[in-house]
Amino acid sequence: MADITRRNFVKLGALSAGMVALGESSLGASVLDQKGVKYDQEYDVVVIGSGFAGLAATITAAEKGLKVCMIEKMGRFGGNSIINGGLFAVVNSPKQKAEGVQDSIELYLKDMLKAGLNMNHTDNLKVIAARSADALKLTEKCGAKYYEKLSHLGGHSIPRTYLTSTASGAGIVQPMLGYAEKLSNVTLKNRTKFDDFIADDSGRIVGVVIRENYKFDMKALDDHAENKTGETKYIKARKGVILASGGFCRDTFLRNMQDPSIPLECDTTNQPGATGEVIMKALELGAVPVQMSWIQWGPWASPDEKGFGTASNFNINATFRYGITVDTKTGKRFMNELADRRVRSLAMFNVIGQDQNYPINICDQAAVDKIIPDLTAKALASGVVKKFNTLDELAAAYKMPAAELKKTVEAYNGYVTAKKDTEFGKPVHGVEGVQINKPPFYGTRGVPKLHYTMGGLKINDKAQIISTKTKKPIPGLFSAGGVNGGIHGASRLGSCSIPDCLVFGMVAGENI
Amino acid sequence: MKQRAQNIFVALCLSLCFTLLPLTLKSGEVTSSSPDLKGRETVTMTQEFKEKYPLKRVHAKLSLECLFCHDGQGNNPEAFKAVREKTCLECHGSKEKIAQRLDFIGKPNPHNSIHDGTRLSCDECHYEHKASINMCAECHEKEIATNMWMRKTP
Repeated sequence: MADITRRNFVKLGALSAGMVALGESSLGASVLDQKGVKYDQEYDVVVIGSGFAGLAATITAAEKGLKVCMIEKMGRFGGNSIINGGLFAVVNSPKQKAEGVQDSIELYLKDMLKAGLNMNHTDNLKVIAARSADALKLTEKCGAKYYEKLSHLGGHSIPRTYLTSTASGAGIVQPMLGYAEKLSNVTLKNRTKFDDFIADDSGRIVGVVIRENYKFDMKALDDHAENKTGETKYIKARKGVILASGGFCRDTFLRNMQDPSIPLECDTTNQPGATGEVIMKALELGAVPVQMSWIQWGPWASPDEKGFGTASNFNINATFRYGITVDTKTGKRFMNELADRRVRSLAMFNVIGQDQNYPINICDQAAVDKIIPDLTAKALASGVVKKFNTLDELAAAYKMPAAELKKTVEAYNGYVTAKKDTEFGKPVHGVEGVQINKPPFYGTRGVPKLHYTMGGLKINDKAQIISTKTKKPIPGLFSAGGVNGGIHGASRLGSCSIPDCLVFGMVAGENI
Repeated sequence: MKQRAQNIFVALCLSLCFTLLPLTLKSGEVTSSSPDLKGRETVTMTQEFKEKYPLKRVHAKLSLECLFCHDGQGNNPEAFKAVREKTCLECHGSKEKIAQRLDFIGKPNPHNSIHDGTRLSCDECHYEHKASINMCAECHEKEIATNMWMRKTP
């Protein structure tokens, strides 16, 4: 219940000295002046968002002794992280050592820059590479468990990916939530929406305006604009605010503004709350927008189910690594199945064309034997992945020329034997000799879905948000995870979001 | 808060009475009250409100009154706020207990899933005055549409 009006606001940086009195309707309003604000609650740190980044920030800051409040707009804690596939790339990890895999920060950067078309901000990347093993330790301390084997994901020149024992990011989120709940200096609030920043005279962010008891409306076309639920509260954040609110794949308006080529009704793997209002508020404050129009497709989804579904993790772990993807019309391969997401998605859309000619991802029993049984069981049960006794049956089911398919498989098997794919350059040396010849065979229709907004805010190596106005960090403001941009450039490699979120969450918590 | 459990007992007895001694309730204005009438607010329950805010079958059977859940929220149903899980759990016990009781659903038990454990709020899926939804269908559309995992959300 602060006695505050829209007439009170400060302008950041150099302008703060000469405050301009703007009218209520002014587009310049971006932050509330703390003068006149009567705080309802006081903390050292407010974290906005409850996924990997928010949890890592919360736990790290709390373990320094700070009083932390983590808020989440949705009813569910965990954001996209809780429905994420649980794949976590760690550089120079214990499992790499055990499996005899040679990795280095340089090699990681090389892989990332190749996929990112050298648009990546390497200052951020280096921090992720150097600290990913620390982030792994943090999750293990909280109780996260991982599958015994490393996965080898598209675009990575070597296997470096951990998979949670539940094959979901929830395998990290749940233990971290449990850990955070036990810390006496941590307050977790779901159904609590961030509305505004509060700043002091110097432009330092010293608090937030939130709404408690906010009920996200799943049916609203634009929840952020339409939803008036909740009670406004003014929260002091003595040390600052950490933004961990994720990307904006579900924000149809912002998405369309950035890339009009994306169909409005396009399916995405993201949760309904993945919208851009926090990013936009930070931009209003003067944060530098980075690569906002680069929006990534995930090539492993299925047109036969919504979202990430059950096919995605099956394709990531089985068909793309140990199998092939073929054009239904020709029975032929058309891409390196382990290329980065952008390259694969473009190739797939080329095949899908105007007549929804969805390509088929194929692997055999030997591939399935290599992965967590649960992934296959779920994908088969939902009916999106199908099992066939012979390649002829598979070809018939998808109305594919069988003779061509068999020729394709034979050629591919030859590449595996030779450890060199002369046709599409798939790194077949990493497929452990798995060919496509052990029945039964598995097939599933593939389509790329919107997965990750590459763009967002620019942070420095301390997770401080950089201002356009001052070209320096905005005092009291930090961010981590999907809300940031430019770290992965044009295309993020699979399993590199978890380390990004966790590492910069930790870094924000350390530096706040 | 324990009162609510006692109230349930009272409500059960009341509903039994109504079953044994069928009374013809006239439509229109019926002044009803919360089962614990201790100088509290009462709600004038009209047919219009009954239609606007229908109860789930089990709750209706128990003849639950507005104030049973919305106590301390005045006496105007239009101004009532949605209750949070604390209120649900006063009768339904703990989320762990619910998860255990519904263990028969199988592995994707929505009350103890790999994604949320027992942390979901009841009203992510269960609504009292309108049709419930199945939040899992947001991603697991197939499994829900085919009742492979669970039936319609009560």
